[in-house]
Amino acid sequence: MSTETAMNLGVYWRTWALLLVLTAVMFFLDTLAMPRGIFVTVMLTAMMIKATLIAMIFMHLSKESTDLVVTVVVCSLGFGALLYELIVVDAGRIYQMMQGVFVR
Amino acid sequence: MTTTTAESRWMGGECPFAAGWKKVMMWVFIIGDAVLFAGFLSSYGYARTMSADWPPASEVFNLGLIGLMTFVLISSSATMAAAVAMAKSDRARAARFVWMTVVGGLIFLGLQAYEWSHLIAEGGRPWANPWGASLFGAYFFMITGFHGTHVLIGVIVNIVTALRTASGVTPAENVEMAGLYWHFVDLVWVFIFTLFYLL
Repeated sequence: MSTETAMNLGVYWRTWALLLVLTAVMFFLDTLAMPRGIFVTVMLTAMMIKATLIAMIFMHLSKESTDLVVTVVVCSLGFGALLYELIVVDAGRIYQMMQGVFVR
Repeated sequence: MTTTTAESRWMGGECPFAAGWKKVMMWVFIIGDAVLFAGFLSSYGYARTMSADWPPASEVFNLGLIGLMTFVLISSSATMAAAVAMAKSDRARAARFVWMTVVGGLIFLGLQAYEWSHLIAEGGRPWANPWGASLFGAYFFMITGFHGTHVLIGVIVNIVTALRTASGVTPAENVEMAGLYWHFVDLVWVFIFTLFYLL
């Protein structure tokens, strides 16, 4: 096994351990009585840290060219946000229709 | 001039992404699939916010089981990363790591089948459920079912990859492509796990 491969394996096992620790922390926080706003913020932050670790280290994005990273991140998050925005607008319109208020 | 350089870079003859076509195409697929899941989770988020009687996750799900599923999937992602790292230098070990990933995927599917069978036995259906908002069942079975299908496809891809890696047919690059797909399946689970089971 080359030195580079051994180093990569070390990084992967540490990332694996970190992901498990983060998951355990999320489970622990779930058992605490925290204010809803703080709970949601902490959980979403932990979720994004885990997702970033997987994308950057397991999926090697940290070693890819900036062009590829920007394309992947902007497209995924940008289209995701656009989709969410469109769904919210459409769902809001449906909700208003259900309430008997038809909005053109 | 800067403009000329920028134009010529994207007009062929160069490799702006500094990656092979397989990797670029895999990322294009992953972006498309990510947007699909983003649509599911966005509409789930809205439906949940607007429902007055959305059931609390801790009352419906066995969170210990979900924790085990998460552990298995994250571990299988780590073994797949190890397989990719070994693919160029040691094919036999790389194949063994891919087989470990396959086992992880099968355990995950088994646990998901166990979870589904229990919820179905308790009356959970895509169109109705005994716990609260009727849309709960629809979103649960759709999102976890769609993810489970991705896991099943990943397991099949990994079985083929393991066999072909062991026999020396598949180049190391293809192990990396299978790995990208498998990590994406793990990535999606991170979102489902947080948004559906914990929040």
